[in-house]
Amino acid sequence: MSNTNEMTLEFTSISQNESFARVVVAAFISRTNPTIEEVSDVKTAVSEAVTNSIIHGYDNGDGKISIKTVVQDRQVYIEIRDEGKGIPDIERAMEPLFTTRPDMDRSGMGFSFMEAFMDELHVESEVGKGTVIKMRKEIGAGHHFE
Amino acid sequence: MKLYDIENGIMVYYLPEELDHYAAERIRKKSDAVFDEKEVKNLIFDFKNTCFMDSSGIGLITGRYRKIHDNGGTAYIVNVNSAIDKVLKMSGIYRIIGKWNSKEDIINELIKGGYYE
Repeated sequence: MSNTNEMTLEFTSISQNESFARVVVAAFISRTNPTIEEVSDVKTAVSEAVTNSIIHGYDNGDGKISIKTVVQDRQVYIEIRDEGKGIPDIERAMEPLFTTRPDMDRSGMGFSFMEAFMDELHVESEVGKGTVIKMRKEIGAGHHFE
Repeated sequence: MKLYDIENGIMVYYLPEELDHYAAERIRKKSDAVFDEKEVKNLIFDFKNTCFMDSSGIGLITGRYRKIHDNGGTAYIVNVNSAIDKVLKMSGIYRIIGKWNSKEDIINELIKGGYYE
């Protein structure tokens, strides 16, 4: 029997959907039996990626964001995709405190938080085409009983 | 629910249950005009009701901190749970804004510092 479970969610790029997106992902991964802290970590990471798509990918304009979540044993894989303007310099965008929108009180910590709260983070982006954020987290990594 | 309170030049932000980009923008829009008009000397960020925060919350806090700091004021953080504490710690914000156990402690500190005459 395969121990894989998968879901895909697509929604409009508006900021009210940030909380919807992270709550759906949190509910979906609940079968891995995560701690409250692990759920909180995943919710924060999802929120960061979705907010980036809304503010930067689509410049607060129209668009669709999709989230694919795969649960495989204790691994959680999350892919957040937009078809927005893309990131010209990914390395620069990932620098701590770097932001293109200091005027909007953006902290520049989005990618740092995704990296800190998840075990793995990959960013793929093409200018004019969009951005895909891929993240992985192992649930229960902190408390093995073997 | 009340968003903020201003008394004796101390502005208290009652932060919402979920402090994300959506909530941060609303708070910013609703409170910045007041902030500029009134004589706010000190800021208290009360997290009593907050159980979720991301980097948009950090942006909101540092933005407000900058304003108060430029006017020679001080900011305080109070009533954080462990999830919020983790995010605040990671951001490094405690280096510029202290964490306190209660609002009473903050008021006492202000009295000690000669804020109330």
